[in-house]
Amino acid sequence: MVRYLRIMLTIVVIIAAIFAGRWVWTDYMHTPWTRDGRIRADIVTIVPDVSGWVTKLNVKDGQQVAKGELLFSVDQQRYQAAYDKSKANTNNSLYSWELAKHKYERRKALNTQQAISEESLEATRISTEIAKANYDLAKADQTVAQLNLSRTQVTAPVAGQIINLNLRQGNYVAQGTPVFAIVQSDSFYVTGYFEETKIPLIHTNQKATIELLSDTKPLTGQVVSIGKAIANINTQSNNQLLPQVQQTFNWVRLSQRIPVDIKLDALPEGIQLSAGMTATIHLATE
Amino acid sequence: MHHAVVIGGLEFSPLVIYFPMAFILTALTRFILHRLDWHDRIWKVAWFEVSLFMCFLALSVFLLSGR
Repeated sequence: MVRYLRIMLTIVVIIAAIFAGRWVWTDYMHTPWTRDGRIRADIVTIVPDVSGWVTKLNVKDGQQVAKGELLFSVDQQRYQAAYDKSKANTNNSLYSWELAKHKYERRKALNTQQAISEESLEATRISTEIAKANYDLAKADQTVAQLNLSRTQVTAPVAGQIINLNLRQGNYVAQGTPVFAIVQSDSFYVTGYFEETKIPLIHTNQKATIELLSDTKPLTGQVVSIGKAIANINTQSNNQLLPQVQQTFNWVRLSQRIPVDIKLDALPEGIQLSAGMTATIHLATE
Repeated sequence: MHHAVVIGGLEFSPLVIYFPMAFILTALTRFILHRLDWHDRIWKVAWFEVSLFMCFLALSVFLLSGR
């Protein structure tokens, strides 16, 4: 009896170990979790729409700005002059049009008295139309000049925090060249890079627990989207347009990582989040 | 809750703690069995101890919910 008991004890422990090992394996390999997560935020790059010297810099690095707040001003002398010129041009075109209209009305009266030819009347009518078109053109030019003048005042398109401000008063900024970025307020979200083998276990609206590297309370959120594409380096070509195909081992393949975006629930008070922070993500299983 | 072990800015899997922990627990069990002189009563001690190690490991992963 005692002999059977000692055999049974070992067998029970071995069976328990098999189940425990299987559970650990499943927990690690077949549940949707990843240590490869990053905090992200909506970044808005600030790009001047006109070129010129920065005459006034209104913000500092790291400053919190409200939507519509003045960030910096570009020297507006050239744009003011262009606007004045276009305005004068518009007036000029307006008077030209009025003159042409006046001539046309007068010639219409003359035409009824058979004093001028039909051709001359028609030429005057067309001149009036040309004068009107010139006036419309001048008005459009004035609108562009006014827009350029207003764009010398660069305002914040969103509320947020200024990041990486290296711009100084007196610097020359070029049209279309980014000068700094704004991290939009309350726009933090998390992207988890899950192995493709775990993607079938993930669906939208799935609850997520997010842990940061800093030892804070876990954040919660839910899956909003699963990335539908990642780059395939085999599709790149060299300068002769030949496909650059990567060589691989046949017996070992590395699973790709698919980005999964997670919207954060309300953040706990006082938490410091920065885009780029490392996060460990666990998704709830049914 | 040990989802990750952070040492000097390096993040490790909690398994780096759970493995030695399970090993120490197994060694402790072995020591106690020796002291109580029950060691000889167990059938296939090596199998028993390896299985016990696995059980301790799974138990620590389960209780401390770490991966």
